[in-house]
Amino acid sequence: MIIRIEPESDIPIYQQMTNQIIEGIAIGLIQPGDSLPSVRTFAADLGINMHTVNKSYHQLEKKGIIRIVPKSGAVISSPHDYNDFSFDRLKENYKLLIAESLVVGMSNEQIQELVSSTINHLKNSSNKEA
Amino acid sequence: MTLAIFLIIAVILAGIQIAVPFLVKRTVIFGITVPEKHINNEKLSSFKKKYSLLVSLLSIISLVSYAIWVLSSSASEEQTVLIGTVIQFAIILFSFTLYFYFHGKTLQLKKKMKWGENTKQIQIADLSARAKDEMLPWYVFLVPILITVGVIGYTISQYTLLPDQIPTHWGINGEADAFTDKTPVSAVSSPLMLLVMQVMFLAIIISTKKSGIKLSATATNASRLRQLTLRKYTSWLLFLTSILLTGMFSFFQLRTIHPDIVDGTIVMAVPIIFLVITLGSTVAFALKVGRSDKRSIDEAAAGITDYDDDKHWVGGLFYVNKNDPSIFVEKRFGVGWTINFGNPIGYLIILIPIAIIILFSFL
Repeated sequence: MIIRIEPESDIPIYQQMTNQIIEGIAIGLIQPGDSLPSVRTFAADLGINMHTVNKSYHQLEKKGIIRIVPKSGAVISSPHDYNDFSFDRLKENYKLLIAESLVVGMSNEQIQELVSSTINHLKNSSNKEA
Repeated sequence: MTLAIFLIIAVILAGIQIAVPFLVKRTVIFGITVPEKHINNEKLSSFKKKYSLLVSLLSIISLVSYAIWVLSSSASEEQTVLIGTVIQFAIILFSFTLYFYFHGKTLQLKKKMKWGENTKQIQIADLSARAKDEMLPWYVFLVPILITVGVIGYTISQYTLLPDQIPTHWGINGEADAFTDKTPVSAVSSPLMLLVMQVMFLAIIISTKKSGIKLSATATNASRLRQLTLRKYTSWLLFLTSILLTGMFSFFQLRTIHPDIVDGTIVMAVPIIFLVITLGSTVAFALKVGRSDKRSIDEAAAGITDYDDDKHWVGGLFYVNKNDPSIFVEKRFGVGWTINFGNPIGYLIILIPIAIIILFSFL
């Protein structure tokens, strides 16, 4: 999988990395059980500070998306590694996003439509890439 | 003989200098990042042609007059060597001066044409690139090290057989021309120097492997092919060099212990064979890597450009980036690697062995 970073974007680099890795797993470009490159390798490939990569990995670890295993590095978790805690946290995030959507005037249907089209988009991408 | 060797080396040296603008990474012209869609700009092509033409003119004139001078006058061996070396340095100096001239010109052109402005800069990494990395594993570099340790051990065991004068320098004909008194240190000093070099090679290969695989967002496939080709053939070239050096040093060491082991013709052939293989493989390496990314195999994406890291390249030649953990990065003007001067490990790998070797030669 190719990670694309925009150094001059307002989104911090570590956040861009996290987002793309999550999307990559959703699409199926990276499979559960695969390992991510070591922090040093990843930073060297992008020519960025190792702390930036570390920050992204810690963020992913906190979300439960990767497990940092000594020697084998950062390993992608499989769906059954997640628990109620993960779902609760996501529920909170959804709540905030849905609230914001309602505030800007999106209708119930528009929100539903957005959710299903996003899911379709990710699934289609996964078919295309495979 | 000396003339022929100097001419061959100088011709190869000049040839590589002349070809450099056409062998470098496709998106870097005279040390300046140029967006993919502008790399075939007419002005840039004329800069490259002018550079090559001027370097070839100077090289041809100086080498032809050098050859005529050596053949017509009765120049001594020392004079031939001295002037030959001066000419090689002059060619390098001249091409560097021209490089800086065109570096400035390209920079001006880039500013004037506003290349790369108002486009999104993208930096990319391929998570699966390492799986395609075909560098030789580091442990094959232990083979020459083990051979050298064996040679040192053998020398110690045969210490009484060694002559009272230990050779420290050999001429191009393979015969020793400088000596020092026999002591336990001087007896093994040349294989020890070899050992230092081999350890340096080992350190270089390990750090190269750890250094980044830098890809271009606008020519991802071409740049990946070039990076992987560079890494693979660097490890091969380094291994070959290590083996050749080991062979040559061990041969001379064994001949010091057993002077009658081989006859003179073989002794004369050894340095020549070494020279020919080293030069030949260096040229093959430069061509193989230099041509690897010249066929366009990527679709140009609109609105994006590669991350412009010119600010990390002092004069377009020296890479200084404290954030980048890479120890070596691909050269911008030339084929091969350069040190990341923002990372002190790089200096140590190169400077410590050189310091040790200099120290040895004063002992």
